[in-house]
Order: sequence, then structure tokens, then C-alpha cells
Amino acid sequence: MSLVDTAATGAAPADAPVRYRGATARLVRSELALVLGRRRNIVLLVGLALVPLLLGVVLYLAQDAGLAGQGPPFVARVTGNGLFLVVASLFLCTPFLLPLTIGIASGDAIAGEASTGTLRYLLVVPVGRGRLLAVKALGALAFAAASVLGIAVVGLVTGAALFGIDDLTLLSGTTVPLADGVLRVAGVVAYVGLSMTGLVAVGLFFSTLTEVPVGAMAATVVVAVVSSVLDQLPQVAVIHPALLTHHWFDFAEMLRVVPSADVLAQGLAVQAGWVVVFGTLAWARFTTGDVSS
Amino acid sequence: MDTTPVSPTRSRIRAAWAVPTAAVVAVAGAFAAPPLLASAGSATLAELTPEQLLTRVLESEPQALSGTVVHTARLGLPDLSMTQVAGADPVSLLSGSTTLRVWSDGGQRSRVSLLGTASEYSVVADGTQAWTYSSSDDEVVHYALSPDDAARAEKMRATARPPADLPTPDELGREALERAQRDATVSVDAATTVAGRDAYQVVVTPRSSTTLVGRIVVAVDARTWSPLRVQVWGSDDAATPALELGFTDVTFAAPDDAVLTFSAPPGASVREIVLPLPDDAALAGLAPSDLPTSLPDDPADAPLPEGTRVTGTGWDTVVELSDVDVAALVAGDPGAVAGLPQVDKQLGSAGAQELYEEFAPEGDGPGVDLDTVALYEQLTTPVEGGRALSSALLSVLVLDDGRVLVGAVPVDALRAAAGE
Repeated sequence: MSLVDTAATGAAPADAPVRYRGATARLVRSELALVLGRRRNIVLLVGLALVPLLLGVVLYLAQDAGLAGQGPPFVARVTGNGLFLVVASLFLCTPFLLPLTIGIASGDAIAGEASTGTLRYLLVVPVGRGRLLAVKALGALAFAAASVLGIAVVGLVTGAALFGIDDLTLLSGTTVPLADGVLRVAGVVAYVGLSMTGLVAVGLFFSTLTEVPVGAMAATVVVAVVSSVLDQLPQVAVIHPALLTHHWFDFAEMLRVVPSADVLAQGLAVQAGWVVVFGTLAWARFTTGDVSS
Repeated sequence: MDTTPVSPTRSRIRAAWAVPTAAVVAVAGAFAAPPLLASAGSATLAELTPEQLLTRVLESEPQALSGTVVHTARLGLPDLSMTQVAGADPVSLLSGSTTLRVWSDGGQRSRVSLLGTASEYSVVADGTQAWTYSSSDDEVVHYALSPDDAARAEKMRATARPPADLPTPDELGREALERAQRDATVSVDAATTVAGRDAYQVVVTPRSSTTLVGRIVVAVDARTWSPLRVQVWGSDDAATPALELGFTDVTFAAPDDAVLTFSAPPGASVREIVLPLPDDAALAGLAPSDLPTSLPDDPADAPLPEGTRVTGTGWDTVVELSDVDVAALVAGDPGAVAGLPQVDKQLGSAGAQELYEEFAPEGDGPGVDLDTVALYEQLTTPVEGGRALSSALLSVLVLDDGRVLVGAVPVDALRAAAGE
């Protein structure tokens, strides 16, 4: 990042910066390099990618030990068709590991810069605060996408290597050809990825509130956990459809004989609602808040 | 170098925070609007008497349809929803909300899928055979007639002729109404909207004061005359129905062929169950048509299987079975199930009836693998001389002497009936 170049404009108010051509593009590039190149984030991605690998190896070793056919849905299917390893891994990671990882990256986005004292330098880049926030959001979204894709790709490779891939048997008992099956699993991956956008927005908002990144990360993960706890309580059934995590498992819709577009659209609409609310909250906070460090 | 940004003015701050406020309002509005709009569109349907309405329903042809049904049971039973852990299972219908997808071509073929979190339990029926498929244990159960029986059934269907004295739907409707009005009042309630469709509501209110059933409300589509929703209200809760089965979305069009066909997926375990077809003599006694020639007589007059006794009338009817080996039944002993007298379960609507029949255990023993002993212990409470299950709509009294009493009355009424 060309902080040195832009430092000259430092006296200009941050919300009316002198425009430079390509400043946003350069900022995006540097943000992506920062997020995806940070050692902690790489360790997180590798950790997530280990889940399908471990799951695959354990299932491979256990299938002859009479332990096959046990456990939650999908997992038992993996030994018959490696394609299911992608779905099973996402199924296992969706409730906690994935939100944890994404909460860490999105909670860190602004608060991390604030805590190391680099936020004030970022604000003198000739890019408005709103656009800077958008760039930060893009970085967090890219990390979320990388997490989901990492699980999917490692799952696919491990599954294909250990169990082979075959025509896909849907939850409804119908068997579809391999190409259709791969398309449906890709749909599952896309849906899980899009399901995380609401959480990214929540994390970004918390990140603008504090200079303590750990606080923002923890708060983000707590939102996901509280949401899934509320989702289990029948007493608050009326708010269930609007909960952040309520529709996360609707990815299974892709594996039914006739996927219901309504159900999928509903799940994505709820995520969009969370993105709009917490995105604008983050924007309002970030563009008006005093930045002192 | 001063890089601290100039503090925004107060009005700018206010303007910025107005954006998320507006966003919250817009999002909340977007989520609240569809249900409000749906309930606001109460139609101006032509007034119909219960008699006219019933006639229309009986006249209507079975419809090809596909849709989503939500079944909600608030029977006061312990929560058995295990779909998250164990996958979709018909037992989850006993409590809580369950979503089902239904497809039917209006004739021989249909599919019902019980949706769980990342699991599904499907029932596919095609004429004389049916399959169930459980995604959680990858098991297919295939119910079919033996080849001989299937051929006979085909022949019978081909040669079947409706009898000359078949009553018109009008007559049948009047008769059904008269019968219903013996023990209950039947009325047509204000029009409503179910799954976005205008619907008439038929309300059946039992006259008896002891029965647990408060009233039964059936919503009937105003254009196709298919039942869209059945609600059974308990007598002690006027706010929410104890049992509700209704479409949340439905289209009346023939479903895709792929949905209605089933072949066992490779690798799945298949259990074959051959259903016996009654011999020709027994079948000859049945009317070879879907429409009965007359409604069954009062259950008290009907010939009863051995070991079955019916006391009480109308809604207070108590069915008593004697010599039931409950312990063996609970343990899933097929022999004990086979020895059970066949008591037909009659539900309020054709839709509910069909659904029940699709899910009711057939053949030799329940198709669901469950720890039935634990389930039995959990569902029933010990009472003097046996165990009792009491729910919002139905009570079951299992006595140690092998008698089982069932009725839509409180447990005390069952005990009184048992003491007679």
C-alpha cells in the first residue's frame, strides 16, 4: 500500500479526500493480500480444510471396522460416494467452526487496524470512509468464500481419492447422474457461502464499535451461537424465521428431488436482511465515529 | 502531521444513523408484509349453506397437485422431535411442527416427503405398490401385492362397474350432514385464505360436553373444492388448534413424472413386504367404486372384530380392546401386532385420511425403528391399574388386565367406562 504517497494529503478531511485514479482498486488488492496472506488467517483456512481430510480418512479406516452407517445424516453416505464428503464436511462445519473462523476474520477487519494504530493511516488513503468500509467488507467476504471453498475443494479431492465419485442419490431416494449431482453439490456450496454473508455484516458492525479485535470476534461468534440457541426454543418460534442461523441448513434443499426455490430464496432473503441492517449500521458508525488511534 | 479527521457535525451524524433506522424499518416491513397481505385478502365468496358446500366437495374430482403442508401438533405430549439428531421420521408428527411436501397426480400415484434438517422420509405410492425411503438410514421398504394378487387387482379394476344405485353427491352430502348433525352442529364460517387461495370453512362443533374435541374446522378451496386445511381444536384451548394440517403453498397441476416414480437407489438396503389381498369372495362384498353406496352405520351397530367393544355414543365413543399384550406390542413383536383387531382410523377429512393411511404402519409391524419401550414409558403415566396416555385430543388407558381403552374423552371417562 502506498501510504507514503498518500500521507501528503493527510491534512484533507477523510470524508472529502483528494481523488486518485485507481486508489480503490489498489486498496482492494492490498486488503485481499492482507486478509488472505495473514499467517493467522492461513492457519484458520488450513484448519478448516483439514476437517474433510480428517473426516475422509476416519471414515475410510472405519468402514471395514463395522462402524460404517453410524452418525448424523450424510456422514454414513460418504463411503459410498465421495461427493457426499463435501456435503458432510459442510454439514459438520456449518454450526460452529465456519462461523468461528468467519467471525474472527470479520471482527478483525476494522478493530484490528484500530488496535495496531494503523486505522488512522488507512483513513488518509484518498478513498472515502464508506468505500474503505466496502473494501474491508470485500476482504472479509473473500475470506468467508475461501473458507467454504477450501472445505469444498479438499472434500471433493479427498472424497474422490478415497471413495470415488458416482451418481448422486438424493435425500428423496432418487438417483441423479453425476453431472447433475456435481451441480447440486456446487449449489450446496454456494448456498452455504451466501449464508455466511449476514454473519460477515454483523462482524463488520462489531468491528467498527471497538478497538479490541478480540471483543468484536467474540461478539460475532456469540451472535451466531445465541441465534442457534434461540432457534431451538419453541417459545420464541415466532422469531425463528428471521434468525441469522435459522436457514443455514436449508442447503439440504439442493438434495431433494425438487429443490424448492421458495425455501432457498427465503433463506437468502433473510441473509440479505441481516446484511442490509448490519451493513448500514456499520456504515453509520464508521462514517460518523471518531477515530483516535 | 495531523491525520485526525475533522469530527462530523451533529446533523451529519443524525443523517448517517437515519440510514440504518430506515433499513431496519424496510427489512421488518418486507418480512411482515406478506403474511399481513395474505390475511387481508379475505375473499368475498358467495354464501353457501353447509349442505351446498358438502355437495360441491363430494362432486369435485380428485385434483393433481403439488404443495407444501405444515403439520402442527400441540397435543401436550413430550417433545419427540428428533429430526435434528436422528433424521426425518414419522414419529415427529406426534409433536411440534413438521413440514411435508406432497405431490399427487389425482389418481393412483402420489409422493409424500417428510422434511427434516438435512434428511427426508419419503412415501411413494403407485397403484398397487408403495415404497418408503428414509434418508437417514438409507433404507427402502417396498410394499407390494404378490404377482397373482396384483394381476387380480388389475383385472378387478378393469372390469369394475359402478352400481346402478349409486347415490348422487347431493344425496350423499345430505346424508353425511344429517349424520354429523346428530351429534354436532355444522356451520359455514367466514371465508378465509389458505396458501394464498380463497377458502370456505366448515365448522363441526360436537354437542357433547365431555369430549376433548372442541371443534373441527376444515378449510375447502373455493375453486377446486379440495380440503386445504384441517384444524382440530381441543375443548380446553380456544386460542390455538391442537392439531393442524394445512397447505402453506399449493399448485393444482400434474407433478413431474420423476417425482412420482421410485426405484431403490444403489447401495440402499431394501426390505420387501408382501401385502395380502383378500380373496375374491371378500372383495365381492365391497362396492367396486371409490364412492361408498351409503355411509357406514352407527359404529355401535357395525360388526366389530372379536375382542372389541364400543361404549358411549357420538363424540364420547370409547373403544375397548381386550386381551392386548401391550408389553409384546411395545417390544415390537410382529405376532402381537398381527393379532390386533383392525380398527379403522377415521379422520375428519379426505386429505388427512390419505396422509394418515400413507404413514400408518402397514404390513407386519411398524416400519420405524425406535426404542419403543422407552417411548412408551415416556408417553404414558402410571395410573391405578395400568398406564394412561392423555393428550389434548385423545386419551388411551392401558390396563394391566390386557384391556386398552381409547377415546376422545378425558382419562377419567375412560376409567369410568372400564369400570362398567
